[in-house]
Amino acid sequence: MIAWRTRQRLVKGALGAVTVLFLAYQWLPMLTMAVLSFTGPEGGTTFPMRGVSLHWYRELLRVQMVDDFKPPLARSVALALACSVTTAALALAAAQAMRARFLGSRIYFYLILLGVMAPGLLVGFGVALLARALGLGLAWYTSTFAVHIVWTLPFGFLTMLAVFNRFDRRLEEAALTLRATHWTTFWRITFPLVLPGVIGAALFGFTLSYDEFARSLFATGPEQTLPLVIYAQFDRQLQPTLYAIGAVTTAVSLGAVALFACLVRLFRRRTLTRARAVPAPNIP
Amino acid sequence: MSTRRERPPTSYALAGPAGLWMLVALVVPTLFIVWVSLWVARGFTLASPLTLANYGKFFARPAYVHVLGDTVQQALVMMVITGVVGYSIAYFLVVHVRRPGLQLALFLGLVVPFWTSALIRTIAWIPFLGVNGVINQALLAIGAVDRPVEAFLFSRAGITLAQVSFYTLLATGPVVYTLRNIPRSLPEAAQCLRATPLHVFWLITFPLTLPGVVIGQILVFLNVMADFATAQAIGGHKYAFLGNLVILLYESGQFSFAAVVSVLLMTTMLLGVALLLKVVDIRRFGEP
Repeated sequence: MIAWRTRQRLVKGALGAVTVLFLAYQWLPMLTMAVLSFTGPEGGTTFPMRGVSLHWYRELLRVQMVDDFKPPLARSVALALACSVTTAALALAAAQAMRARFLGSRIYFYLILLGVMAPGLLVGFGVALLARALGLGLAWYTSTFAVHIVWTLPFGFLTMLAVFNRFDRRLEEAALTLRATHWTTFWRITFPLVLPGVIGAALFGFTLSYDEFARSLFATGPEQTLPLVIYAQFDRQLQPTLYAIGAVTTAVSLGAVALFACLVRLFRRRTLTRARAVPAPNIP
Repeated sequence: MSTRRERPPTSYALAGPAGLWMLVALVVPTLFIVWVSLWVARGFTLASPLTLANYGKFFARPAYVHVLGDTVQQALVMMVITGVVGYSIAYFLVVHVRRPGLQLALFLGLVVPFWTSALIRTIAWIPFLGVNGVINQALLAIGAVDRPVEAFLFSRAGITLAQVSFYTLLATGPVVYTLRNIPRSLPEAAQCLRATPLHVFWLITFPLTLPGVVIGQILVFLNVMADFATAQAIGGHKYAFLGNLVILLYESGQFSFAAVVSVLLMTTMLLGVALLLKVVDIRRFGEP
Protein backbone atom coordinates (compact mmCIF):
# COMPACT_ATOMS: atom_id res chain seq x y z
CA MET A 1 0.00 0.00 0.00
CA ILE A 2 2.81 2.37 0.86
CA ALA A 3 4.71 1.43 -2.29
CA TRP A 4 1.58 2.27 -4.27
CA ARG A 5 1.37 5.73 -2.70
CA THR A 6 5.02 6.40 -3.44
CA ARG A 7 4.63 5.34 -7.02
CA GLN A 8 1.58 7.55 -7.43
CA ARG A 9 3.58 10.48 -6.09
CA LEU A 10 6.48 9.70 -8.42
CA VAL A 11 4.16 9.69 -11.44
CA LYS A 12 2.63 12.97 -10.35
CA GLY A 13 6.10 14.50 -9.87
CA ALA A 14 7.29 13.32 -13.28
CA LEU A 15 4.20 14.60 -15.11
CA GLY A 16 4.37 17.89 -13.20
CA ALA A 17 8.01 18.27 -14.19
CA VAL A 18 7.16 17.67 -17.87
CA THR A 19 4.43 20.32 -17.67
CA VAL A 20 6.58 22.95 -15.96
CA LEU A 21 9.56 22.29 -18.23
CA PHE A 22 7.35 22.54 -21.29
CA LEU A 23 5.89 25.84 -20.11
CA ALA A 24 9.41 27.22 -19.63
CA TYR A 25 10.39 25.83 -23.04
CA GLN A 26 7.42 27.52 -24.67
CA TRP A 27 7.82 30.88 -22.97
CA LEU A 28 11.59 31.38 -22.70
CA PRO A 29 12.25 32.23 -26.37
CA MET A 30 9.50 34.86 -26.35
CA LEU A 31 10.67 36.38 -23.07
CA THR A 32 14.29 36.35 -24.27
CA MET A 33 13.26 38.20 -27.40
CA ALA A 34 11.39 40.79 -25.35
CA VAL A 35 14.40 41.32 -23.05
CA LEU A 36 16.88 41.55 -25.94
CA SER A 37 14.74 44.18 -27.68
CA PHE A 38 15.86 46.62 -24.95
CA THR A 39 19.56 46.18 -25.69
CA GLY A 40 21.75 49.25 -26.27
CA PRO A 41 22.52 50.82 -29.70
CA GLU A 42 25.64 48.64 -30.12
CA GLY A 43 23.86 45.53 -28.93
CA GLY A 44 23.59 42.43 -31.08
CA THR A 45 20.92 39.80 -31.51
CA THR A 46 22.05 37.58 -28.63
CA PHE A 47 23.37 37.81 -25.07
CA PRO A 48 25.27 39.53 -23.50
CA MET A 49 23.21 42.73 -23.70
CA ARG A 50 25.12 45.97 -24.29
CA GLY A 51 23.34 48.26 -21.88
CA VAL A 52 19.63 48.94 -21.65
CA SER A 53 17.86 51.39 -23.97
CA LEU A 54 14.79 52.11 -26.03
CA HIS A 55 17.06 52.64 -29.05
CA TRP A 56 15.51 49.92 -31.26
CA TYR A 57 11.98 51.06 -30.51
CA ARG A 58 12.93 54.65 -31.47
CA GLU A 59 14.48 53.15 -34.59
CA LEU A 60 11.09 51.63 -35.46
CA LEU A 61 9.46 55.05 -35.30
CA ARG A 62 12.29 56.83 -37.11
CA VAL A 63 12.97 54.59 -40.12
CA GLN A 64 11.16 55.88 -43.16
CA MET A 65 11.95 54.16 -46.44
CA VAL A 66 12.54 50.45 -46.95
CA ASP A 67 12.20 49.11 -43.44
CA ASP A 68 9.23 51.24 -42.46
CA PHE A 69 6.92 49.01 -40.45
CA LYS A 70 4.19 51.59 -39.94
CA PRO A 71 2.18 51.27 -43.20
CA PRO A 72 2.20 47.44 -43.07
CA LEU A 73 1.13 47.63 -39.43
CA ALA A 74 -1.78 49.90 -40.38
CA ARG A 75 -2.74 47.53 -43.23
CA SER A 76 -2.61 44.48 -40.95
CA VAL A 77 -4.80 46.15 -38.32
CA ALA A 78 -7.32 47.30 -40.94
CA LEU A 79 -7.41 43.82 -42.46
CA ALA A 80 -7.80 42.22 -39.02
CA LEU A 81 -10.71 44.54 -38.17
CA ALA A 82 -12.45 43.70 -41.45
CA CYS A 83 -11.91 39.96 -40.82
CA SER A 84 -13.20 40.37 -37.28
CA VAL A 85 -16.54 41.89 -38.34
CA THR A 86 -16.95 39.57 -41.35
CA THR A 87 -16.13 36.42 -39.37
CA ALA A 88 -18.60 37.32 -36.62
CA ALA A 89 -21.42 38.07 -39.09
CA LEU A 90 -20.86 35.04 -41.35
CA ALA A 91 -20.34 32.65 -38.41
CA LEU A 92 -23.49 33.87 -36.65
CA ALA A 93 -25.59 33.44 -39.82
CA ALA A 94 -24.07 30.04 -40.65
CA ALA A 95 -24.54 28.66 -37.12
CA GLN A 96 -28.11 30.01 -36.94
CA ALA A 97 -28.79 28.21 -40.25
CA MET A 98 -27.34 24.95 -38.89
CA ARG A 99 -29.89 24.91 -36.06
CA ALA A 100 -32.62 23.84 -38.50
CA ARG A 101 -30.55 20.92 -39.93
CA PHE A 102 -31.43 21.68 -43.55
CA LEU A 103 -30.82 19.27 -46.42
CA GLY A 104 -27.07 19.15 -47.01
CA SER A 105 -26.21 20.62 -43.61
CA ARG A 106 -23.71 17.81 -42.96
CA ILE A 107 -21.76 18.59 -46.12
CA TYR A 108 -22.07 22.28 -45.32
CA PHE A 109 -20.48 21.64 -41.90
CA TYR A 110 -17.48 19.91 -43.49
CA LEU A 111 -17.24 22.59 -46.19
CA ILE A 112 -16.73 25.26 -43.55
CA LEU A 113 -14.32 23.10 -41.53
CA LEU A 114 -12.23 22.53 -44.65
CA GLY A 115 -10.81 25.99 -44.01
CA VAL A 116 -8.87 24.72 -40.98
CA MET A 117 -7.69 21.54 -42.65
CA ALA A 118 -6.45 23.05 -45.92
CA PRO A 119 -2.73 23.96 -45.81
CA GLY A 120 -2.54 27.75 -45.69
CA LEU A 121 0.30 28.11 -48.16
CA LEU A 122 -1.66 26.20 -50.80
CA VAL A 123 -4.86 28.21 -50.30
CA GLY A 124 -2.88 31.34 -51.11
CA PHE A 125 -1.14 29.53 -53.97
CA GLY A 126 -4.46 28.48 -55.51
CA VAL A 127 -5.86 32.02 -55.31
CA ALA A 128 -2.66 33.44 -56.82
CA LEU A 129 -2.79 30.94 -59.72
CA LEU A 130 -6.47 31.66 -60.33
CA ALA A 131 -5.89 35.41 -60.31
CA ARG A 132 -3.01 35.04 -62.76
CA ALA A 133 -5.07 32.88 -65.13
CA LEU A 134 -7.99 35.32 -65.04
CA GLY A 135 -5.73 38.34 -65.32
CA LEU A 136 -6.84 39.79 -61.99
CA GLY A 137 -4.55 41.68 -59.64
CA LEU A 138 -3.77 40.66 -56.06
CA ALA A 139 -4.20 43.03 -53.12
CA TRP A 140 -4.31 42.79 -49.36
CA TYR A 141 -7.87 44.14 -49.23
CA THR A 142 -9.23 41.69 -51.84
CA SER A 143 -7.40 38.36 -52.28
CA THR A 144 -5.67 38.35 -48.88
CA PHE A 145 -8.95 39.28 -47.19
CA ALA A 146 -10.69 36.39 -48.99
CA VAL A 147 -8.16 33.75 -47.90
CA HIS A 148 -7.98 35.09 -44.33
CA ILE A 149 -11.73 34.61 -43.94
CA VAL A 150 -11.31 31.00 -45.12
CA TRP A 151 -9.00 30.53 -42.09
CA THR A 152 -10.90 32.56 -39.46
CA LEU A 153 -14.47 31.57 -40.32
CA PRO A 154 -14.29 27.91 -39.14
CA PHE A 155 -13.09 29.04 -35.70
CA GLY A 156 -15.96 31.52 -35.39
CA PHE A 157 -18.40 28.94 -36.75
CA LEU A 158 -17.38 26.29 -34.18
CA THR A 159 -17.61 28.89 -31.41
CA MET A 160 -21.17 29.80 -32.45
CA LEU A 161 -22.20 26.13 -32.81
CA ALA A 162 -21.01 25.50 -29.24
CA VAL A 163 -22.96 28.54 -28.02
CA PHE A 164 -26.18 27.45 -29.78
CA ASN A 165 -25.71 23.92 -28.42
CA ARG A 166 -26.20 25.23 -24.90
CA PHE A 167 -28.92 27.64 -25.96
CA ASP A 168 -32.33 27.32 -24.28
CA ARG A 169 -34.78 27.17 -27.21
CA ARG A 170 -37.75 27.70 -24.87
CA LEU A 171 -36.81 31.38 -24.52
CA GLU A 172 -37.39 31.95 -28.22
CA GLU A 173 -40.53 29.82 -28.19
CA ALA A 174 -41.90 31.94 -25.37
CA ALA A 175 -41.35 35.10 -27.42
CA LEU A 176 -42.94 33.55 -30.51
CA THR A 177 -45.92 32.39 -28.45
CA LEU A 178 -46.33 35.99 -27.33
CA ARG A 179 -46.66 36.93 -31.00
CA ALA A 180 -43.23 38.38 -31.53
CA THR A 181 -42.08 38.03 -35.14
CA HIS A 182 -39.07 35.90 -35.99
CA TRP A 183 -37.13 39.11 -36.65
CA THR A 184 -37.99 40.67 -33.27
CA THR A 185 -37.35 37.39 -31.47
CA PHE A 186 -33.91 37.11 -32.99
CA TRP A 187 -32.78 40.65 -32.16
CA ARG A 188 -34.47 40.97 -28.74
CA ILE A 189 -33.95 37.44 -27.36
CA THR A 190 -31.47 35.34 -29.34
CA PHE A 191 -28.83 37.90 -30.25
CA PRO A 192 -28.27 39.38 -26.75
CA LEU A 193 -27.95 35.86 -25.34
CA VAL A 194 -25.38 34.68 -27.86
CA LEU A 195 -23.49 38.00 -27.94
CA PRO A 196 -20.52 36.69 -25.87
CA GLY A 197 -20.08 33.98 -28.52
CA VAL A 198 -20.26 36.55 -31.32
CA ILE A 199 -17.52 38.56 -29.59
CA GLY A 200 -15.47 35.35 -29.32
CA ALA A 201 -15.88 34.77 -33.07
CA ALA A 202 -14.82 38.38 -33.71
CA LEU A 203 -11.72 37.82 -31.58
CA PHE A 204 -10.74 34.77 -33.65
CA GLY A 205 -11.26 36.86 -36.77
CA PHE A 206 -9.00 39.61 -35.49
CA THR A 207 -6.02 37.75 -34.06
CA LEU A 208 -5.86 34.91 -36.59
CA SER A 209 -5.90 37.39 -39.46
CA TYR A 210 -3.50 39.84 -37.78
CA ASP A 211 -0.85 37.12 -37.28
CA GLU A 212 -1.42 35.21 -40.52
CA PHE A 213 1.65 34.60 -42.66
CA ALA A 214 1.27 31.39 -44.71
CA ARG A 215 -1.98 32.38 -46.44
CA SER A 216 -0.77 35.91 -47.17
CA LEU A 217 2.51 34.84 -48.77
CA PHE A 218 1.25 34.19 -52.32
CA ALA A 219 -2.07 36.02 -52.15
CA THR A 220 -0.85 39.53 -51.30
CA GLY A 221 0.10 42.10 -53.91
CA PRO A 222 2.90 44.66 -53.71
CA GLU A 223 1.45 46.36 -50.62
CA GLN A 224 2.40 43.84 -47.95
CA THR A 225 1.00 43.07 -44.52
CA LEU A 226 3.09 43.20 -41.35
CA PRO A 227 4.04 39.48 -41.08
CA LEU A 228 5.26 39.53 -44.70
CA VAL A 229 7.41 42.60 -44.11
CA ILE A 230 8.79 41.09 -40.90
CA TYR A 231 9.70 37.94 -42.76
CA ALA A 232 11.36 39.80 -45.62
CA GLN A 233 13.45 41.83 -43.14
CA PHE A 234 14.34 38.66 -41.22
CA ASP A 235 15.43 36.97 -44.44
CA ARG A 236 17.81 39.88 -45.20
CA GLN A 237 19.29 40.37 -41.76
CA LEU A 238 18.39 39.64 -38.15
CA GLN A 239 18.51 42.91 -36.21
CA PRO A 240 17.29 43.95 -32.78
CA THR A 241 14.63 46.05 -34.59
CA LEU A 242 12.94 42.74 -35.35
CA TYR A 243 12.84 41.94 -31.65
CA ALA A 244 11.29 45.33 -31.01
CA ILE A 245 8.63 44.87 -33.70
CA GLY A 246 8.09 41.33 -32.36
CA ALA A 247 7.45 42.69 -28.88
CA VAL A 248 5.11 45.36 -30.27
CA THR A 249 3.08 42.96 -32.40
CA THR A 250 2.84 40.42 -29.56
CA ALA A 251 1.56 43.22 -27.33
CA VAL A 252 -1.08 44.11 -29.97
CA SER A 253 -2.23 40.45 -30.16
CA LEU A 254 -2.43 39.98 -26.41
CA GLY A 255 -4.01 43.42 -25.96
CA ALA A 256 -6.74 42.41 -28.41
CA VAL A 257 -7.38 39.16 -26.48
CA ALA A 258 -7.59 41.06 -23.18
CA LEU A 259 -9.94 43.68 -24.68
CA PHE A 260 -12.29 41.05 -26.12
CA ALA A 261 -12.25 39.08 -22.85
CA CYS A 262 -13.30 42.24 -20.98
CA LEU A 263 -16.12 42.86 -23.51
CA VAL A 264 -17.42 39.30 -23.08
CA ARG A 265 -17.49 39.70 -19.29
CA LEU A 266 -19.21 43.07 -19.56
CA PHE A 267 -21.99 41.83 -21.87
CA ARG A 268 -22.50 38.63 -19.91
CA ARG A 269 -22.95 40.61 -16.71
CA ARG A 270 -25.34 43.05 -18.40
CA THR A 271 -27.51 40.21 -19.74
CA LEU A 272 -27.60 38.60 -16.29
CA THR A 273 -28.60 41.83 -14.53
CA ARG A 274 -31.35 42.42 -17.07
CA ALA A 275 -32.60 38.86 -16.68
CA ARG A 276 -32.77 39.33 -12.91
CA ALA A 277 -34.59 42.67 -13.26
CA VAL A 278 -37.55 40.89 -14.90
CA PRO A 279 -39.78 39.25 -12.26
CA ALA A 280 -39.81 35.49 -12.69
CA PRO A 281 -43.13 34.18 -14.02
CA ASN A 282 -44.98 31.63 -11.97
CA ILE A 283 -44.77 28.38 -13.88
CA PRO A 284 -46.40 25.46 -12.11
CA MET B 1 -50.07 26.76 -30.22
CA SER B 2 -47.42 24.80 -32.00
CA THR B 3 -43.93 26.19 -31.92
CA ARG B 4 -42.72 27.85 -35.06
CA ARG B 5 -39.23 26.82 -36.05
CA GLU B 6 -36.78 28.21 -38.56
CA ARG B 7 -37.91 27.08 -42.00
CA PRO B 8 -35.35 25.67 -44.44
CA PRO B 9 -35.64 28.59 -46.94
CA THR B 10 -34.42 30.95 -44.19
CA SER B 11 -31.67 28.45 -43.42
CA TYR B 12 -30.41 28.45 -47.01
CA ALA B 13 -30.39 32.24 -47.08
CA LEU B 14 -28.44 32.35 -43.82
CA ALA B 15 -26.03 29.57 -44.78
CA GLY B 16 -25.45 30.95 -48.27
CA PRO B 17 -22.86 33.71 -47.76
CA ALA B 18 -20.43 31.62 -45.66
CA GLY B 19 -20.81 28.58 -47.93
CA LEU B 20 -20.32 30.65 -51.06
CA TRP B 21 -17.22 32.28 -49.59
CA MET B 22 -15.66 28.88 -48.86
CA LEU B 23 -16.51 27.65 -52.36
CA VAL B 24 -15.05 30.67 -54.16
CA ALA B 25 -11.97 31.27 -52.00
CA LEU B 26 -11.11 27.67 -51.07
CA VAL B 27 -12.72 24.90 -53.13
CA VAL B 28 -12.42 26.50 -56.57
CA PRO B 29 -8.74 27.56 -56.10
CA THR B 30 -7.87 24.08 -54.79
CA LEU B 31 -9.48 22.37 -57.77
CA PHE B 32 -7.74 24.88 -60.01
CA ILE B 33 -4.36 23.75 -58.56
CA VAL B 34 -5.22 20.18 -59.57
CA TRP B 35 -6.08 21.35 -63.09
CA VAL B 36 -2.89 23.44 -63.44
CA SER B 37 -0.80 20.45 -62.32
CA LEU B 38 -1.90 18.72 -65.54
CA TRP B 39 -0.87 21.57 -67.83
CA VAL B 40 2.22 21.26 -70.00
CA ALA B 41 5.21 22.85 -68.34
CA ARG B 42 5.85 25.74 -70.75
CA GLY B 43 3.39 28.61 -70.91
CA PHE B 44 0.57 29.40 -68.54
CA THR B 45 -2.73 29.32 -70.39
CA LEU B 46 -6.19 27.92 -69.81
CA ALA B 47 -6.03 26.35 -73.28
CA SER B 48 -3.06 24.17 -72.34
CA PRO B 49 -3.38 20.48 -73.26
CA LEU B 50 -3.52 18.10 -70.28
CA THR B 51 -0.70 15.70 -69.42
CA LEU B 52 0.58 13.58 -66.55
CA ALA B 53 4.20 14.28 -67.54
CA ASN B 54 4.73 16.67 -64.61
CA TYR B 55 4.01 13.88 -62.13
CA GLY B 56 6.42 11.59 -63.97
CA LYS B 57 9.08 14.30 -63.73
CA PHE B 58 8.57 14.57 -59.96
CA PHE B 59 9.00 10.87 -59.28
CA ALA B 60 11.95 10.61 -61.69
CA ARG B 61 13.97 13.06 -59.56
CA PRO B 62 15.29 11.38 -56.37
CA ALA B 63 15.88 14.80 -54.76
CA TYR B 64 12.15 15.61 -54.95
CA VAL B 65 11.07 12.19 -53.72
CA HIS B 66 13.49 12.71 -50.82
CA VAL B 67 11.73 15.95 -49.88
CA LEU B 68 8.41 14.07 -49.81
CA GLY B 69 9.96 11.40 -47.58
CA ASP B 70 11.55 14.01 -45.30
CA THR B 71 8.23 15.82 -44.88
CA VAL B 72 6.37 12.66 -43.90
CA GLN B 73 9.21 11.58 -41.61
CA GLN B 74 9.23 14.96 -39.86
CA ALA B 75 5.46 14.70 -39.34
CA LEU B 76 5.83 11.19 -37.84
CA VAL B 77 8.64 12.27 -35.48
CA MET B 78 6.57 15.26 -34.36
CA MET B 79 3.50 13.08 -33.79
CA VAL B 80 5.46 10.78 -31.47
CA ILE B 81 7.05 13.63 -29.46
CA THR B 82 3.95 15.81 -29.16
CA GLY B 83 1.82 12.73 -28.48
CA VAL B 84 3.86 11.73 -25.43
CA VAL B 85 4.55 15.23 -24.09
CA GLY B 86 1.02 16.45 -24.88
CA TYR B 87 -0.65 13.49 -23.17
CA SER B 88 1.56 13.88 -20.07
CA ILE B 89 0.63 17.55 -19.76
CA ALA B 90 -3.09 16.86 -20.29
CA TYR B 91 -3.09 14.04 -17.71
CA PHE B 92 -1.28 16.19 -15.16
CA LEU B 93 -3.63 19.15 -15.71
CA VAL B 94 -6.85 17.16 -15.41
CA VAL B 95 -6.00 14.39 -12.93
CA HIS B 96 -3.31 15.78 -10.67
CA VAL B 97 -3.99 19.52 -10.45
CA ARG B 98 -6.97 19.89 -8.13
CA ARG B 99 -6.87 23.60 -7.28
CA PRO B 100 -8.99 25.51 -9.85
CA GLY B 101 -6.76 28.60 -9.63
CA LEU B 102 -3.58 26.67 -10.43
CA GLN B 103 -5.38 24.77 -13.17
CA LEU B 104 -6.44 28.04 -14.80
CA ALA B 105 -2.96 29.53 -14.50
CA LEU B 106 -1.31 26.49 -16.12
CA PHE B 107 -3.99 26.40 -18.79
CA LEU B 108 -3.46 30.08 -19.66
CA GLY B 109 0.31 29.55 -19.68
CA LEU B 110 -0.20 26.89 -22.33
CA VAL B 111 -2.81 28.65 -24.45
CA VAL B 112 -1.74 32.31 -24.50
CA PRO B 113 1.16 31.82 -26.99
CA PHE B 114 -1.41 30.42 -29.46
CA TRP B 115 -2.82 33.95 -29.68
CA THR B 116 0.50 35.44 -30.79
CA SER B 117 2.27 35.41 -34.14
CA ALA B 118 3.78 32.04 -35.13
CA LEU B 119 6.33 33.91 -37.24
CA ILE B 120 7.52 35.97 -34.26
CA ARG B 121 7.72 32.82 -32.16
CA THR B 122 9.87 31.23 -34.85
CA ILE B 123 12.20 34.23 -35.01
CA ALA B 124 12.41 34.17 -31.21
CA TRP B 125 14.04 30.73 -31.43
CA ILE B 126 17.04 32.07 -33.38
CA PRO B 127 18.88 33.75 -30.46
CA PHE B 128 18.29 30.50 -28.58
CA LEU B 129 19.76 28.05 -31.02
CA GLY B 130 22.78 29.85 -32.54
CA VAL B 131 26.46 29.20 -31.79
CA ASN B 132 26.38 32.15 -29.37
CA GLY B 133 22.81 31.30 -28.45
CA VAL B 134 21.22 30.91 -25.06
CA ILE B 135 21.28 27.09 -25.11
CA ASN B 136 25.00 27.02 -25.91
CA GLN B 137 25.79 29.70 -23.31
CA ALA B 138 23.91 27.68 -20.69
CA LEU B 139 25.63 24.43 -21.68
CA LEU B 140 29.06 26.13 -21.55
CA ALA B 141 28.28 27.71 -18.20
CA ILE B 142 27.40 24.42 -16.54
CA GLY B 143 30.36 22.74 -18.23
CA ALA B 144 28.33 20.19 -20.16
CA VAL B 145 30.25 21.00 -23.34
CA ASP B 146 33.59 22.74 -23.87
CA ARG B 147 32.84 24.01 -27.39
CA PRO B 148 29.58 25.54 -28.59
CA VAL B 149 27.34 23.01 -30.32
CA GLU B 150 26.70 24.02 -33.91
CA ALA B 151 24.01 21.44 -34.50
CA PHE B 152 21.08 23.49 -33.15
CA LEU B 153 20.65 26.21 -35.78
CA PHE B 154 20.31 25.31 -39.47
CA SER B 155 19.52 21.68 -38.64
CA ARG B 156 16.63 19.25 -38.50
CA ALA B 157 17.12 19.06 -34.74
CA GLY B 158 16.60 22.83 -34.46
CA ILE B 159 13.48 22.67 -36.62
CA THR B 160 12.10 19.87 -34.42
CA LEU B 161 12.94 21.76 -31.20
CA ALA B 162 10.98 24.78 -32.40
CA GLN B 163 8.07 22.77 -33.80
CA VAL B 164 7.62 20.92 -30.51
CA SER B 165 7.10 24.26 -28.78
CA PHE B 166 4.46 25.29 -31.38
CA TYR B 167 2.43 22.13 -31.86
CA THR B 168 2.36 20.27 -28.51
CA LEU B 169 -0.67 22.31 -27.51
CA LEU B 170 -2.62 20.77 -30.43
CA ALA B 171 -2.02 17.30 -28.98
CA THR B 172 -2.86 18.39 -25.43
CA GLY B 173 -6.19 20.15 -26.04
CA PRO B 174 -8.37 17.26 -27.31
CA VAL B 175 -6.95 14.89 -24.65
CA VAL B 176 -7.84 17.39 -21.90
CA TYR B 177 -11.37 17.43 -23.28
CA THR B 178 -11.79 13.62 -23.35
CA LEU B 179 -10.12 13.17 -19.94
CA ARG B 180 -12.56 15.65 -18.38
CA ASN B 181 -15.49 13.64 -19.72
CA ILE B 182 -14.50 10.40 -17.95
CA PRO B 183 -16.73 9.94 -14.90
CA ARG B 184 -14.66 9.55 -11.75
CA SER B 185 -16.69 6.49 -10.82
CA LEU B 186 -15.16 4.41 -13.62
CA PRO B 187 -11.54 4.29 -12.41
CA GLU B 188 -12.83 4.11 -8.83
CA ALA B 189 -14.91 1.04 -9.64
CA ALA B 190 -11.88 -0.62 -11.19
CA GLN B 191 -9.79 0.20 -8.14
CA CYS B 192 -12.43 -1.33 -5.86
CA LEU B 193 -12.10 -4.48 -7.92
CA ARG B 194 -8.37 -4.42 -7.10
CA ALA B 195 -7.04 -3.25 -10.46
CA THR B 196 -3.56 -1.76 -10.17
CA PRO B 197 -3.17 1.91 -11.23
CA LEU B 198 -1.37 0.75 -14.37
CA HIS B 199 -4.26 -1.54 -15.26
CA VAL B 200 -6.75 1.25 -14.64
CA PHE B 201 -4.82 3.49 -16.99
CA TRP B 202 -4.38 1.00 -19.84
CA LEU B 203 -7.77 -0.67 -19.63
CA ILE B 204 -10.01 2.27 -18.73
CA THR B 205 -8.50 5.73 -19.00
CA PHE B 206 -6.43 5.40 -22.15
CA PRO B 207 -9.07 3.72 -24.34
CA LEU B 208 -11.60 6.38 -23.30
CA THR B 209 -9.21 9.18 -24.27
CA LEU B 210 -8.23 7.56 -27.57
CA PRO B 211 -10.56 9.74 -29.71
CA GLY B 212 -8.89 12.82 -28.21
CA VAL B 213 -5.43 11.38 -28.89
CA VAL B 214 -6.31 10.69 -32.52
CA ILE B 215 -7.77 14.16 -33.08
CA GLY B 216 -4.62 15.66 -31.57
CA GLN B 217 -2.47 13.51 -33.85
CA ILE B 218 -4.48 14.60 -36.88
CA LEU B 219 -4.00 18.27 -35.97
CA VAL B 220 -0.24 17.82 -35.44
CA PHE B 221 0.11 15.82 -38.66
CA LEU B 222 -1.72 18.42 -40.76
CA ASN B 223 0.20 21.33 -39.28
CA VAL B 224 3.66 19.80 -39.58
CA MET B 225 2.98 18.65 -43.15
CA ALA B 226 1.93 22.20 -44.09
CA ASP B 227 4.70 23.94 -42.15
CA PHE B 228 7.31 25.64 -44.29
CA ALA B 229 8.12 28.78 -42.29
CA THR B 230 9.93 26.94 -39.47
CA ALA B 231 12.08 25.02 -41.93
CA GLN B 232 12.87 28.18 -43.85
CA ALA B 233 13.66 30.36 -40.83
CA ILE B 234 15.48 27.85 -38.63
CA GLY B 235 16.73 25.50 -41.32
CA GLY B 236 18.19 28.53 -43.11
CA HIS B 237 17.26 27.44 -46.67
CA LYS B 238 19.29 24.24 -46.12
CA TYR B 239 16.27 22.06 -45.47
CA ALA B 240 13.19 21.83 -47.62
CA PHE B 241 9.83 20.29 -46.95
CA LEU B 242 7.13 20.07 -49.61
CA GLY B 243 5.87 23.58 -48.76
CA ASN B 244 9.33 25.06 -49.29
CA LEU B 245 9.54 23.26 -52.62
CA VAL B 246 6.26 24.87 -53.72
CA ILE B 247 7.66 28.34 -52.90
CA LEU B 248 10.94 27.60 -54.68
CA LEU B 249 9.19 26.41 -57.85
CA TYR B 250 6.67 29.26 -57.77
CA GLU B 251 9.42 31.85 -57.49
CA SER B 252 11.23 30.35 -60.48
CA GLY B 253 8.02 30.53 -62.51
CA GLN B 254 7.43 26.75 -62.77
CA PHE B 255 3.74 27.03 -61.94
CA SER B 256 2.48 23.68 -63.16
CA PHE B 257 5.32 21.87 -61.41
CA ALA B 258 4.62 23.80 -58.19
CA ALA B 259 1.00 22.67 -58.61
CA VAL B 260 2.16 19.04 -58.87
CA VAL B 261 4.01 19.33 -55.55
CA SER B 262 0.92 20.98 -54.01
CA VAL B 263 -1.34 18.16 -55.18
CA LEU B 264 1.08 15.55 -53.78
CA LEU B 265 1.18 17.43 -50.46
CA MET B 266 -2.62 17.55 -50.25
CA THR B 267 -2.95 13.89 -51.25
CA THR B 268 -0.46 12.82 -48.57
CA MET B 269 -2.35 14.87 -45.98
CA LEU B 270 -5.69 13.31 -46.96
CA LEU B 271 -4.20 9.80 -46.90
CA GLY B 272 -2.70 10.41 -43.46
CA VAL B 273 -5.98 11.67 -42.04
CA ALA B 274 -7.89 8.74 -43.56
CA LEU B 275 -5.40 6.30 -41.96
CA LEU B 276 -5.67 8.00 -38.57
CA LEU B 277 -9.46 7.90 -38.73
CA LYS B 278 -9.26 4.14 -39.21
CA VAL B 279 -7.86 3.90 -35.68
CA VAL B 280 -10.95 5.22 -34.00
CA ASP B 281 -14.46 6.39 -34.80
CA ILE B 282 -14.09 10.14 -34.45
CA ARG B 283 -17.79 10.57 -33.69
CA ARG B 284 -17.08 9.09 -30.26
CA PHE B 285 -15.25 12.32 -29.43
CA GLY B 286 -17.26 14.11 -26.80
CA GLU B 287 -19.13 11.05 -25.54
CA PRO B 288 -18.63 10.29 -21.85
